[in-house]
Parts: sequence; structure tokens; C-alpha cells
Amino acid sequence: MRNFAVNGLTDEALHAAASRAGLALRVDELRRIAERLGRDPSVVEVHAFDAQWSEHCSYKSSRHLLRALPIDGPTVMQGPAEDAGILHLGEWNGERYGVVIAHESHNHPSQVVPFEGAATGVGGIVRDVLCMGAEVIAIADPLRFGRVENPDSHQRYVAQGAVDGIGAYGNAIGVPNIAGDVYFDDRFDDNCLVNVVALGLIKESEIIHSAAPPHSEGWDIVLVGKATDTSGFGGAAFSSVTLDDADADANRGAVQVPDPFLKNVIMRASYRVFAYLREHKITAGFKDLGAGGIMGCSAEICSSGGFGAIIDLDDVNTALENMPPEVIAIGETQERLCWVLPPDATAAVLSIYNQEFSLPEIARGARAVVIGAVQKQMHYVLRHGDEIVMDVPIDFLTGSIRDELAVHERAVPPDLDPAKRYVEGDRAASELLERVLGHRDVCSRAPLYKQYDSVVRGTTVIARGAADAGVIAPVHGSPLGVALSVGGNPRYGRIDARAAAVLAVAESVRKVVAVGARPLGLTDCLNFGNPQNPDHYTELVVAIDGLAEAARALGTPYVSGNVSLYNESKNGNAIPASPIVACVGGLQDVAKVVTAPFKRAGSVLYYIGDASNAIGGSVLAELLDVRDAPLPPVDLVRARAENDVLSKAIEAGAVNAARAVCGGGLLAAVAEMAFATLHSNAIGAQLDDPCAWTQGEVGDAEALFGEAGGFVVEAADQAAFEAMCADLPFVHEIGVTIDQPVLAIDEDAFSLRTLHDAWAKPLTEVYA
Amino acid sequence: MSGKVAVLIFPGTNSEEESLRLARDVGMDAQLVHWSRSAALANFDAYVLPGGFAYEDRIRAGAVPAHDPMMDAVIEGAQRGKLVLGICNGAQILLEAGLVPGTGPIRKPTAAFTHNAPVPKFVCKHVHVKLAIDPARCAITASLAKDAVIPAWAAHGQGRLAATDDHLEEIEAGGHVAFVYAHADGSVDAAANPNGSAIGCAALTNGAGNVLAIMPHPERDAWNFNHPDSRGPGDILAPSGGVALFASFARALR
Repeated sequence: MRNFAVNGLTDEALHAAASRAGLALRVDELRRIAERLGRDPSVVEVHAFDAQWSEHCSYKSSRHLLRALPIDGPTVMQGPAEDAGILHLGEWNGERYGVVIAHESHNHPSQVVPFEGAATGVGGIVRDVLCMGAEVIAIADPLRFGRVENPDSHQRYVAQGAVDGIGAYGNAIGVPNIAGDVYFDDRFDDNCLVNVVALGLIKESEIIHSAAPPHSEGWDIVLVGKATDTSGFGGAAFSSVTLDDADADANRGAVQVPDPFLKNVIMRASYRVFAYLREHKITAGFKDLGAGGIMGCSAEICSSGGFGAIIDLDDVNTALENMPPEVIAIGETQERLCWVLPPDATAAVLSIYNQEFSLPEIARGARAVVIGAVQKQMHYVLRHGDEIVMDVPIDFLTGSIRDELAVHERAVPPDLDPAKRYVEGDRAASELLERVLGHRDVCSRAPLYKQYDSVVRGTTVIARGAADAGVIAPVHGSPLGVALSVGGNPRYGRIDARAAAVLAVAESVRKVVAVGARPLGLTDCLNFGNPQNPDHYTELVVAIDGLAEAARALGTPYVSGNVSLYNESKNGNAIPASPIVACVGGLQDVAKVVTAPFKRAGSVLYYIGDASNAIGGSVLAELLDVRDAPLPPVDLVRARAENDVLSKAIEAGAVNAARAVCGGGLLAAVAEMAFATLHSNAIGAQLDDPCAWTQGEVGDAEALFGEAGGFVVEAADQAAFEAMCADLPFVHEIGVTIDQPVLAIDEDAFSLRTLHDAWAKPLTEVYA
Repeated sequence: MSGKVAVLIFPGTNSEEESLRLARDVGMDAQLVHWSRSAALANFDAYVLPGGFAYEDRIRAGAVPAHDPMMDAVIEGAQRGKLVLGICNGAQILLEAGLVPGTGPIRKPTAAFTHNAPVPKFVCKHVHVKLAIDPARCAITASLAKDAVIPAWAAHGQGRLAATDDHLEEIEAGGHVAFVYAHADGSVDAAANPNGSAIGCAALTNGAGNVLAIMPHPERDAWNFNHPDSRGPGDILAPSGGVALFASFARALR
């Protein structure tokens, strides 16, 4: 077997050799491998460790930090140990139903090849959910792009291509896209963020685990899917380096090629296999091939069951002749999954994939094939031709490694007074309203998401854009509902990573509460710069602290998550700290769902929340160039009380419509609730002078456009709503709905149609 | 007819579950039939071709599957008077197979459901369709009220009916336009048309009226929960307007 020389080389020579081989492994890591093996590693082995010890697989600079996140609670059916976590939704017909959730980033590939990169992101996350034995029921896509004003820019190309890719893939596999968000910010010019969240539905009794089952020694390891090709070789390591324009071409080879058509068939064939296994009461292991390809997946599924594995690379169906063993073993070709099956079930499963669903006829070289066996000896062995090309202790390969990285003392935030007025004079709403509504982070996202099929499967209750969260009713005939939302404002991340994390959690939870769902749990994707840079690593450390604190306070555990570091280009541009959080909510009775549009004229409007002058990170601050204002204070105890009150009010039927206050503030929320009625019987709003409900302690502009959180609520029953809020100090009557297409503030009245046009237009050019 | 209904699955079909669910809920004896089991198709009395991206919409949506062996049984059955309903991709397949509008030879289509206009992109939008023929003109619509308006979801990139002027005239004059896009109140104008379809066409039927090809998805507006803002009083799990077409279909099979 070809060896990679480590012993006897100087550090400089070893570093140079590693660079030439395209390895991200450091010199100390290479020496550690050689020392543990007692010899030079083979070429296959160094590539295997390169993938397996990359940040992408090993979480080496983040795993120990992530332990701080709360992962337990009454709603947790399965915490973050496998490819996806599971939250308890409810019971129906004697079955306990769980919602499977996973969250992934595909940032690096999307920056280089946007369509394929983003499409592959959807494909990967869908496999994470599928391999728990679940039906895939929904996806969401939090996106962060650079400046798109210039039609010829790479930034515009990325923003368009990524959306096209998500639509093309999600629409083809037939999974509704029900939630997501998008921001445009110059700090994403060199590194876009394409995060994708997927949900699955599963009965508790039918969960399949991503581990070789007990007593599975000698069982078959079966590879399913696309023929292994050379695409995606080095993918995991690629995601652990910074991007450089000059490398872009070289990096294209590390991007996998998506095939949603094949995925559609593999998904449906896998559902059939699930049914077969249930019918025959067969236990099996199932896992998605992600980072590290065949090697990463088979090593992890076996080691997590307490076994080793032996794989024969000659049995792998490949797209090309004579592929090098390291490429077969480690390449990240898309649309592949791995089963660990008892030998007496193998023939039937192969037949479902290869005959009934005729994979080999669907895509050249695609099939299900036995590639190896689970073994008792805790070694991971790869055979190729007559040679053993890899033989390492399996726990050493898959075990946790840790980088000790420098953290800066957290700078003391400047002493900014949240009670101080940061906007000079009395800026009138009339001057700002159209500008806020037309701001790139507030304006209508419909031009983007109307390209996504939001209703395939026929289970959609709230389609994309009709409220703060999407809602589906996935269990036919039952009133159980599932809500999904995302949150994470990069304008906060620019200012304070910890606060950005707290606010992301608060926002995502608030959004599922606004549709009438009870928050069940969270998943997070931590998008940060280069952890070797102490500034960026410090951001990660404090953000995780914020994520933990907010989730504890709001009673929402994490059941899965993802880390995406190195979002930095070589010219030093790094993304702002971008913790992105998705929240799953549950409705026991989907009939109680509440949407954003106003329902009738003459209803009283309320603001649940506390307006403040703290407008840091808001759209208003950006428009007025206010740079020194503090972020909105987040009182998590109060936020939870507000959430609870709104939940109870909705369950009691006291609420007609609700919207979480986020980008653009209270007035943007009210305007959007009215805009949705424009196509039929338009309902507008007459709002009181903010002085009346802020007691004059907050400026008008800050009260109307500040982003202090909370909800705007159209009450169905004023007396009942007020009685339910009696114990909550921060509930303000702010106005009333009217039967005219007008948004009026005190004595100023604005045409809803004019405002709507200003709001609807900005993204039409980019996503026409 | 005893009413055994096959819901066909081509490689790339993705709307089979909601179609099957609704077919069964309105009382049809329906089951999925997979492309590797196409020999079984002859034993069914009616066919539903659900939405999706059969064969990845290569060439033009519906063009490749129209030549799939699965379609041999469907074409033969349709010519013998069996009922056939195609929705979205299924509608495109029926049109590419020449079963609708039925103004030319089989597998030589005289029209196409092609790229949306003016923007040639996928669009997902709630719509309404209005019955544009005498209900009895098509067996599948026979139990609907005259001028019935049905809610549905448009979710397609290629839904615009296109043909030469001569063919369009023939299609219109022959009463092949079964549904047109409309507003909820039944009014018809360009704003109701989500894809620039010629003559506002949302669905076509053949000369004999036993084949219906409809672009938007009534089966995705089958229960009140599918549109919570416009639901009337009553049970959110109860059937909504989209059920009407399937119910009429089921009645025609009895």
C-alpha cells in the first residue's frame, strides 16, 4: 500500500507534503496519527483522517462548547446524538408521534457553485431526516446573501443561483418549503450562507438508529444510491478552509453534483424498505453518507454500535474505472445512504431498491449493493484489490479530538443607555414608513419564495409567507399540527455575538407562538469565521453561551444542530457572527391556528411587548445611520410570559390575527398584516399616537420602528383578551382595524396600496 | 364499472400520496401502481396521473413519460372509454400523449403546457378554476354545478397552454377547455391567470369527455385546513372545495 511519509520528515517538509496532497491536517495531527499507528499512515488513511478530523466531521473546536446547550426536557424524544433529533408532537390513535429535525449549512459550495451547492444542501439535510426512518414532511431555508444591487455581480449570481437550486431540488423531491428568511448584507459578499432545515414525521415505535444494532457482528453493510464518482472528494476538508477567489476553480471539484430525480426515487424506495422492515420486525441501522463519504458513514455507524467494520472497495459501484481507493472511500458523491442489515433481510432490501424501484435503470450505475460487514474487532479496515489499504483503530478514527484555541477576553460592551433617545428630534412616521417597508431586509420576500412549492403533499395549513411560521398537518385525519420558523438577524451579529444568539432564539420561538403553536424545541446552525482567529472564536464561544441561556429561559431544548466555521475569505472578510436558530412548534388542534392577515374591521389592536429607545441593529438605525445605540434589551423572563399569554389567548379563541415584531418593527408588522387583505376586502388600521401607549418615554420613531420584539395582536374578543393579559404589564392597546385600505397613525393617513407597492417591489428585479 | 382506480407513479412523481388519500376519502377503490408493475394497469377501470417531475421533465414536461410503457395501458383504456384524470405533471403527460385535447393522432400533441409567462419560472400560488363547459360534457365533471368554482393550488413551471392559432381555435370551438382560471367569486380576467395560459385555460378534456387534464392541484385544497384564512364555519378537518372534482369523479365510476 502507498504510504504517506511522516516519520523522518522535518516539520517544514511535512507541512509542504501535506499541502501538496491537499490535506487540511496539521503537522502535529499527522505526527499523532503516525505515532498511534506505530508506522507511516497509508495515503488512504491520511485522507480518511483528514476528512474525519476536519471541523466538519469532528467539531474539534466546537464540540466541547456545544455541551453547554440544554438538550433535555419533556418534549425530547431523541436528543442530539444521531443524524437528526426528534421532538414529541403528540398522540393520535394510540401512537406517539415525533417530529424529526435537522439543520445543515452548505455555505462554501454555494458561494462557489450556487445552484448545485444549495441544491446539495437540501439533499443532504433530507437524507439526515430520512435515515431516522422518517417521512420527510417540510423544509425551511435561512439565507444570507451579499449586496445584490449590481446585476452583473457574483453576489447577485449567488443570490439567484442558490434560490434556484433550493427550488429545483425541493420541488422535485416533493417536500414543501414552508419557512425561511433572507438577509442581504455586504458582510456576506464573499461568503453567502445557505442553511437548510428539514422536518420528518415518525412514530416513536418506528425510529431507526444511525448505529449498528446490538449483536450485529457479521451483518451486511449495504451502500444505496448513486454510483460513486470523483465529485466531492475533499468536501469535508474544503468546508474547513477559508475561501479564496483563486481557489474557486480548484474547489469546484469538491462540490457534489445533486440529482433530485434519483433522490425522489431513493426516498420512496426507502419508505418501502421501512415498511418491509416493520412488517417483518427487523432491526437495522441506517445512516446518511455525508462528510467523509463511505468511510465516514460506515466507520461512524459501526463505531457508535461498538463495532469495527471491514469494507471491500472493489464491491462499490463506481462511475469510473480505476478510481483511486481514497477517492472511492472518502469522496462525497451525493444521493447515497448506508444500511446495516441482518444477512437474512439483505436480499429483500436489495430487491426493493434494484428491482421494484429499478435504481440501475433510473441513473447510470445507481444501485444498492453489499460492500462489507460489521466486525467485532474494533478496527476499521478497507480492502482494495489484493491489498489492505487502511487498518486503523475505529475509535481513534471517529473519536473526538479537540483543538485548544485562543479566546479573547470579551470586550466590555460600551456603556450605552437603553433609556436614552438615539434618534434626534421627532422623526415623523411619514418620512420613514416607505423607506422602512422598502428596506432590503423588510420588503416582501414573495418574489423569492413563490418559486418554492409550499403545498406539495397536501398537508400545508400555513403556506410560506402567510404568517411568521409555516404550519402543516402531517398526520392524516388527526388535528395535530407542526409549526416551523427560523430566526437570526445578522445586523445584531455585527454588533454583539452573544446578544445575536439570544435574540435569534427569542425570535424563532416568538414566531411559532404567533401562529398558535407551543414551542417544542430548537435546532441551531452556527455560522462563524475562522476559529483560528481569536476574535471569531470568541464570537463562537459567547454565542453558544447566549444560545444556552436563551433556550433554558424559554424552555426549549436543542435536539440537533450544525457548525459552519471558516466563513472567511483570504482577504480577511469574515461574515458577522451568524447563529441561526430554527424552532419547531406543536399544535394539538390545528383548527386553532392563527395567521397574520387582519380578519375584520373594528377589532382592537394590541402590542404585547415593551418598546424601547434601544434601536441598535434595527433597520431604523441603519436608515438613519445611528451607530452607537444599544441592542434591544432581552428580558427572557418577560419574553416567556408574553409567549405564554399569547399562547393561552390563542387557545381560548381570543385572537384573530398575530404577528411577531421583528425587522422593521411594530409598524412593519401592522402594515404586513394589512397588506395580506388587499386582494379581497381590504382592512386597514388606525393607530394611536405612540405617546399614548409609551407614556412619552420612547420617541415616536423608536416606538414604531424599533425592533424590541413582542407581538402585534388583533383581538377577537377585547374583554376576554384583556382579562387574559391582566397580569402582564406590557400589553398596550395601540389602535383598531378599519374597513378602509389605509394605515393611519394618529392624524397621518397612508394609502395601503402605495405602501404595499413600496414593500412589494425591491426584490422583484432580483427574483423576477 | 366497479371503480378500481390506479394512481400511477412514474420515476419523479411526487404528488401520489395526496392524490391517493383524496381518491380514497371520496370512496374510490384506489391504489398506487408503480412503474415496475405497469403490466397490472390493464386491470383497472380508471387512472389518476398525479403531479411531479416524471423523468425530470426532460425535453418538455410530460414528453418522455408520454412514451413510457405505463402509458400504453392508459391510452388503450382511454380509447375504450375508461376515465383518466391527470393533474399538473399528469396533465402535461396526457397532453403530450395526445389524449387531450384529442385533436390530433395519439402521441402527436397539437398543444403543450409549456413554460409560464411572462416570467418563465416555477410559481406556487393559490388559485380558483371555473367550470367552462356544460358539466355533462366531461364524465369527470358531470356531477358539478354549472359554472362551479373550485379552489386549487398552482405549483408548476410549465403550465401555460400554447398552440398555434388554428389549433387554439379548434380547441375552443370543440369545447375542450374544461376549466379556466378565475377569481373566488367566479369572475374571469387576466389577473386570475397565474401562468399566461392561452384563453385562460386551466384544464382540457377530450372529445369524448372521459379524459381530463388539469394543471392546478385541487387535491392540495381538499380540507378546510388547507386555507385557514378563508375557511367558513365548521370542522377544519372537513373536506373543502377541492374535493368536489374528485367526488364528481368518484360518482362517475359508480
